[in-house]
Amino acid sequence: MTAEPGAEDLAPQLVPLNAIFATDFVQILVPVTTANTMREVAAAVAYHVEGKRVRALPYDKVVIYHGERLPAEMTVAAAGIKPLDHITVEYDTPEGS
Amino acid sequence: MALLKREEWQGFVRDVDWSYRYVDDEAVYPEWHSGTGKVPREAWQAWEESYKVSYPEYVATQREKEAAAYAVKAALQRSATWDGLTEGWKSATKMHFGGVALAEFTGVLAELKMARFGLAGAWRNMAVFGQLDELRHAAITTFFGHEFIAKDPQYDWTQKTFHTNNWVAIALRNLFDAMMTASNVVDIALQLPLVFETGFTNLQFVALAADALAAGDVNFANMISSIQTDEARHSQQGGPTLEILVEHDPVRAQWVVDKAFWGSARALSALTGPAMDYYTPLEHRKQSYREFMEEWIIDQFVRTVEQYGLKKPWYWDEFLRGLDIWHHGLHMGLWFWRPTIWWRPMAAVSPDERAWLVEKYPNWEKIYGDKWDVIIDNVNSNNIEATLPETLPWLCSTCHLPACNATQSRDGTWRVRDVQLTYDGRIYHFCTNGCRQIFWKDRDNVNHETLIDRFLAGQIQPMDVGGILGYMGLTPDVMGDDPDYEAWTKDYAGRPAEGIASAVQS
Repeated sequence: MTAEPGAEDLAPQLVPLNAIFATDFVQILVPVTTANTMREVAAAVAYHVEGKRVRALPYDKVVIYHGERLPAEMTVAAAGIKPLDHITVEYDTPEGS
Repeated sequence: MALLKREEWQGFVRDVDWSYRYVDDEAVYPEWHSGTGKVPREAWQAWEESYKVSYPEYVATQREKEAAAYAVKAALQRSATWDGLTEGWKSATKMHFGGVALAEFTGVLAELKMARFGLAGAWRNMAVFGQLDELRHAAITTFFGHEFIAKDPQYDWTQKTFHTNNWVAIALRNLFDAMMTASNVVDIALQLPLVFETGFTNLQFVALAADALAAGDVNFANMISSIQTDEARHSQQGGPTLEILVEHDPVRAQWVVDKAFWGSARALSALTGPAMDYYTPLEHRKQSYREFMEEWIIDQFVRTVEQYGLKKPWYWDEFLRGLDIWHHGLHMGLWFWRPTIWWRPMAAVSPDERAWLVEKYPNWEKIYGDKWDVIIDNVNSNNIEATLPETLPWLCSTCHLPACNATQSRDGTWRVRDVQLTYDGRIYHFCTNGCRQIFWKDRDNVNHETLIDRFLAGQIQPMDVGGILGYMGLTPDVMGDDPDYEAWTKDYAGRPAEGIASAVQS
């Protein structure tokens, strides 16, 4: 008897997200996959906005999901992010900046 | 023999209800069309319009209006007036022609439905005039727009818009189908004549006529003013209907009026807001969109609902806050996604224009200025590519407009926040709490799929920008672009620009 495959064993699935980048004026559609890390998700969202409508800042970016900051190396599958879920991407600005 | 006075015969020929012997009343006025609901059938006999007109009087008046409108058009056709209009103003008219011409025809269907299923002879009589009005409006709007196709193919969307799956067309179809096509006649009378025609058409037809005259577009002003003179008559179908409904079912009356007002306000913030505050040349702007809304819509609407014993809608505070937000966000969205529209949107954010915006909307710079500055710096760096879209804006599941409404945090910052709900195992996103609430209460009704829904369901192929533009019916000759980038960017040229797209990519 073989074990059920875990999320990491499955072929990456498309996960279309509702996303807002920082202070942007609009929510946008951003497709990612279950295999993407939060670093990649943040970059995918930023691609449409950073330097185009929101001025780029020299800081890392962080994905916020259900009010929680997710680790940069965590995957979409591991985070439990599902199609049509909402995320925000923020600059990880140092305290006091 | 002397002719009888109108008041001596009109009641007799107008009130033609009789008792049926071969069928029951439900067969003639089925509930799903007539919608009497909790109102006793006989209560509708009290329906009485305040301004009466006979058919000969109607025809004589309309003939004069038509002759006058077409005479002005014929005279102006020989002049070079159109060539002298600004691109911004032309865009305002293209939006109007595309968004309104066939909506007027949907108005014909709504009036015909009331003419057939209205629950009193007086009401049906008035609706017959109403449908003739709407037919004239559909015809005159289509004809006036059609004239310019030879000069500019974007005017072809006068007739084409509602036949496409353009996202603006989907949003308007969704609103007008709910308001006019899918409703029973009691709800139609509240949604169309009472809320939309008593209030919002004033905004589009009276207020925009003032801007048209100032912009030198006498022909357009002439056309929409001629249309507006009909509204005052047939819009009075709303009052008597509301009066009877409020007496027997005030909860339903409140809900239907509230919902129609919200939907109208959302649509007009996309259609009229950018035209007034951005496309109309600065020197020709009479009032801001907010000021027009306050003068033409809000005071009158509040007076009307209070007169009939209704309350202000539950969303009133959110709506008032939206007067400083909704149309500015939508303007930026229409501009950024400009290849998806059939007009040429002026960004209209030069220093002088921004000073005007801040005077009218004190928070404008705080909410929108930083985003426009990044766009301006990209234009001045010759990086137009960075100002063009590569994905879709998220579209609200109720109003189908982009979810782009910032709200203020306690710390004073402005952010767009997600408003969502889960229903039947699916997540839906909304632009506002008002749209969320309307979706929830109407959740079991049929709803149009948004462009996002269609895209994710694989209905749009190929799944890229080209596929999306093709699905929406846009061809290269009509795709929107800014008509004059330099006009609003030149005053910022040469300033230091950090953190813009070219810098990110290098």
